[in-house]
Amino acid sequence: MATQQVEAGAAGHGAEPRGKRGEDGQATYLIAIAEALWEEMERDERVFMLGEDIGVYGGAFKVTEGFIDRFGPERVMDTPIAEETIVGMSVGAAMEGLRPVAEFQYADFMSSGFDEITTVLSRYHYRAGVPLPVVLRGPSGGGVRASSFHSINPEPWYAYAGGIKIMCPAFPSDAKGLLKSAIRDDNPSMFLEHKWIYRRIKEQVSEDPEFLVPIGSADVKREGSDVSIITYGAMVHKALEASEALAQRGVSAEIVDLRTVYPLDEETILRSIEKTSRALVLYESYRFLGIGTEVAAVIAEKAFEHLDAPVVRLAPPNVPVPFSPPLEDAFLPQIADIEAAVDRLAGW
Amino acid sequence: MRRTVATKVEPDAATAGRPLPDDRLKEILYFLKLARYFDERMEALYRQGRLPGAIYSGRGQEGTHVGVAYALEPEDSLFPTHRDLTAQLTKGLELKRVMAQFWGRIDGYLRGRDGNSHIGDWYGHRTYAVMSHLPIAYPVACGAALAYQRAGTGHVALAICGDGATSNGRWHEALNTSSVFRLPVVWVVNNNQFAYSTPNAKEFAVPTIAERGAAYGIPGVRVDGTDVLEVYRVAREAVERARRGDGPTLIEAVSLRWRGHAGHDPAKYVPRELLEHYMLSKDPVKNFEQYLKDQGVVTEEDVTDIQARVEREFEEGHEYALASPFPEPGDVTKGWWVEDGYWVGEPGRAGGTEAS
Repeated sequence: MATQQVEAGAAGHGAEPRGKRGEDGQATYLIAIAEALWEEMERDERVFMLGEDIGVYGGAFKVTEGFIDRFGPERVMDTPIAEETIVGMSVGAAMEGLRPVAEFQYADFMSSGFDEITTVLSRYHYRAGVPLPVVLRGPSGGGVRASSFHSINPEPWYAYAGGIKIMCPAFPSDAKGLLKSAIRDDNPSMFLEHKWIYRRIKEQVSEDPEFLVPIGSADVKREGSDVSIITYGAMVHKALEASEALAQRGVSAEIVDLRTVYPLDEETILRSIEKTSRALVLYESYRFLGIGTEVAAVIAEKAFEHLDAPVVRLAPPNVPVPFSPPLEDAFLPQIADIEAAVDRLAGW
Repeated sequence: MRRTVATKVEPDAATAGRPLPDDRLKEILYFLKLARYFDERMEALYRQGRLPGAIYSGRGQEGTHVGVAYALEPEDSLFPTHRDLTAQLTKGLELKRVMAQFWGRIDGYLRGRDGNSHIGDWYGHRTYAVMSHLPIAYPVACGAALAYQRAGTGHVALAICGDGATSNGRWHEALNTSSVFRLPVVWVVNNNQFAYSTPNAKEFAVPTIAERGAAYGIPGVRVDGTDVLEVYRVAREAVERARRGDGPTLIEAVSLRWRGHAGHDPAKYVPRELLEHYMLSKDPVKNFEQYLKDQGVVTEEDVTDIQARVEREFEEGHEYALASPFPEPGDVTKGWWVEDGYWVGEPGRAGGTEAS
């Protein structure tokens, strides 16, 4: 892969680089996201951003640094700490033809706007036929020692609500292309930015303002023949690392990066299973009723005749994300866990 | 597609000291009588088992519902509740399509996707489809108002909730946010004194809801919600204030819910003397009718004609609803996404999206 890891501080609040690409032209995941926002703000004056500390301060993770100077306080709107109102206000503005992009300082705090998300945003078009082109975005995920309230993977809660397209990209290019697609989509969407990836992963990213990645489309990040690892978000990078060690032992893993977790790209998942006949579903949301639970069910229901082994899930237990490093490491699937699970599957 | 704001006569264009011209006053009486007759007949049909789903009576509060909606122009938006269906009728929704919704038919405004007074017609009449989690529409009204402010349209959003909903965090979030950004919005609290069975004293510890506006830098006005003209006057002032760019107003309109929270609730928790007082002395429909008679605006014959019109429209609406087809079961998942195209072609659905 043409990606590399860069140093980052605790909780993803790394110092540099941010705000612009490196001299080699590569963009981190965070910069790719900022570019997507900037380009869409330039393209369409109906697009505006709202959230806490996104204007003058530039956002908790500095994704929107410098935006207020270019676009002004009306289009980069600092709001009171009122998440239900941030979501509801986005809905009302969208009903009147604007295209709001709401930032949450952490995806954890989306739950403070839960009712407006799951009752209003998700259901309104089905009930009343009014499109709501709203994007909710924020940093999700663990592995950065940020503990219970700054590490959540909330995607299953909101996928269950339905009506909101949910993206969890793993790479800068996917992040940029998907976010631009989300802003242009007439449906509500939730864009979850894994904070572990923000400043760790960079790659060459298109500068074409029309570069888009389709929503609802998975991508095979590594071709393989023995076992399919169906995954998304930061776990894609863990899977890639594990697959290197597995290859040395002669086990060939194929890695399917879902990119969008709702709606699921069942076709790409099933095509991979037909090829490998073995499935490891690796995910960072909770094991019980997490995104992987649905993936496993789809495989069991629709690819039964292709399977040589039971579907295996690898995911955190249903407990709050713990702080202490040994606890968080035990909570999150580790590279050794992935290798062991793939080895077991390959043994069938 | 945007319609131009219709010219309405201003309140100061009065005749003989009355706040509105006679034809407008008669129109208000029509809406009040429509509200009352609809409410009574629908309750009867519900009790006879001839109406599926639920009903939420607004009886006794028609002065508030008609008064606030009458203060709006067609392009102003209304964020109503389940109890103030009359406000939406006053805003212009067609009775027959409202009734088709009650019977779960395809010609209802929400095509059978929702029932009873959980209704709205955004593109046709700028009314938001009601949701139960009150005051869930308050933050949404902030967003519509924000769009009006940005575009400089001069339009106003008006949102209604009940006394009980003022205990919910969103009520406070929305009032605060609207004041911080000086949004063109009017907040109406229909204080009918009971949130389901819970009286005001168990919902808040201040004497009035209106005074809570001070906490957010918003003027609060308390008005007799059974007096339709007084409600109209206060609401009109608040709407014009918002239109001028002077920010939100909080209106507490006090009345009493004559019936239970919903059709199944006998409301035995309402003290009998209080109910009798309101029914005898504070009937919004009777009092306004008497006022118009006293003023010589209507005759007994006019009132009879209005009543006959209301009853005829109800019967026509009922027939229309029962004749309207049910939605196709196979369409149950359609319209989850915009690209399904399910709502395309619905009357008045043009506009508002990228696709259009």
